[in-house]
Amino acid sequence: MLSFQQPAFYQSSKCFVTHGVMGHVDPKQPPSKGKPWTALAGQDFVCTVDLIVPQEVFGIVQETLWKNEAIPEYKRVVMSLHDILTGDFFSNYIKQGNILMISEGRRGIDNVFALKNGHLTMFLDKEAYERAGLVGKPHGVKGKRGLKPRWIVEVDLNSSSMIKGKKGYDRLVYASKNAFGAPMTWLFCNGTPIVPDPDPLAVFSPTSCTSSPSITQDVDALVPILIPPTSTSEQISRDELEDFSSEVYEWLSLVRLHSPRILKSDKIDPYLSLYRVPGGSQPGRLCKIGWRGFFSPSWTRQTMIDLIIALPSKTWFSFSTTTFSKGLAGDNTECTFLRPPNSSGEYLLWEIKSHE
Amino acid sequence: MIVPTKKDHQSIAADLLNRAFESEEATKILTEKVIQRPLFLCPTSPPPADARHARQLAAKRAKEQRRTKSLKPKPLSATQRKKQGLYQIPKEGQKYKLFEPLHNLWLGYIREILGNEVYTGGEAAAAKLASADFHGAGVEVVRSGCVSRVGTKGIVVKDGKFAFEIVTVKNKVKVVPKEGTIFRVEVPVPVVTKTIEVAEEKEGEEKKQSKMVFELHGDQFQFRSADRATRKFRAHFSKTL
Repeated sequence: MLSFQQPAFYQSSKCFVTHGVMGHVDPKQPPSKGKPWTALAGQDFVCTVDLIVPQEVFGIVQETLWKNEAIPEYKRVVMSLHDILTGDFFSNYIKQGNILMISEGRRGIDNVFALKNGHLTMFLDKEAYERAGLVGKPHGVKGKRGLKPRWIVEVDLNSSSMIKGKKGYDRLVYASKNAFGAPMTWLFCNGTPIVPDPDPLAVFSPTSCTSSPSITQDVDALVPILIPPTSTSEQISRDELEDFSSEVYEWLSLVRLHSPRILKSDKIDPYLSLYRVPGGSQPGRLCKIGWRGFFSPSWTRQTMIDLIIALPSKTWFSFSTTTFSKGLAGDNTECTFLRPPNSSGEYLLWEIKSHE
Repeated sequence: MIVPTKKDHQSIAADLLNRAFESEEATKILTEKVIQRPLFLCPTSPPPADARHARQLAAKRAKEQRRTKSLKPKPLSATQRKKQGLYQIPKEGQKYKLFEPLHNLWLGYIREILGNEVYTGGEAAAAKLASADFHGAGVEVVRSGCVSRVGTKGIVVKDGKFAFEIVTVKNKVKVVPKEGTIFRVEVPVPVVTKTIEVAEEKEGEEKKQSKMVFELHGDQFQFRSADRATRKFRAHFSKTL
């Protein structure tokens, strides 16, 4: 049988391109199976969300987004791991609710804690791991095991053995008191709109942050052909798809970065930049909306469903989500979705996956 | 009758040799092997080297050695020691309550050794503690390469060369190896503070309980209690920290 080797420690990020046709999106039964939806749901903690639409449909977009739900908000709170694992917070939010939390720090350097779907993952250095007394797996560089490796400890807080009095839970609480006693800064996002009353989080005086979108309108840009080329056999050859997708992805990224290279009026000396918008591009007006904060993948999925339903099917739009960076090199995973104009359900999906 | 003349008088040996060999060689053989031949006074001593005789002598010597060796008392082997159970604490004796008075004795002993250094700590206190005896100390495993040991807390019942035997609150005797492990010891220490005169209350002295906490690095501590007393501890670079 095929046996896949363990990946070497550092591999550069890979981009996977999918060109397919979506099924019909029913607002009452949000889709969860199939390619664009699983890719979106598979991300863990989303940091940035970008939406690019033609200026003409901006009104519809505004109406959709503002009508459905409140602007997504997240909270920044200072608490220790012990506070999370005990008391009302534990019984209300973790055992019954659905929350996302992530602590401050970078994964290869500091001790980082991440909580998603009731799974607590701790990325620890050698000293913290040895002081904690919890069983974990080594993480990171494989060779030279003796010198300061790092460790991952994963705990499922939703399981029935995580209650007071049981050995596993007691060891976890002991570790949180002794090894990770210091309070840390966390980002907190409630997956469901239900807030328990009284709110156990209020004791820690969280600062509530709303991520209101930043809107850039009326960008006079050159828009390339966004319809994938079809050869006579109705299936795009690999080379054509590669060329087309890389050009379009490059253009979309430049729009997201507010780069002046895509503007109609751009005249840059070729010595400084060789970029040219792909051939056959027409002038058009774009609008870019960006959110920056701490989002759950369920919110991103819901937003995309709303957009697909609301926007007329002949307009194109592009939706991309980026996660928080992991690891020492700062790689992150990203999902970019493009619906070409005048297509019914056709889409292009770019998934950037880092090695961690 | 022919009578041999003086001139022709040669020995019979020379004559015979002259018949077999040439004259030069004959004289040579005559001088070396006949005239100058060594004559032993006692030809059969020392006795000839006989293999059988030599073997008999060796066997006799070995038997003698074995006899003397078996008369010496030998130390017990590890299996024999375990069977005897000299160092095992009996089931009735594995109770935390039984060792609490020992623990109090030990606390008094430590306070006595350290004297004033209980409040200040430092190099001198460290040197004294390193050579102190730890039977009856209350320890807690705080950091270990083997993560299941972390959190073990109790009174030291046996301070061996490579491991501590600890009796826990739940009346279990646990053997905790010293390698790669850090133990925390706490010594409660009374701290006397004076309060100033407050209205109706008379001037009094408050006694608060404070603790002196120190951590033992098991890696550097792998010596028997008796050997530690005379040992000079030097700081060693630790690979695991």
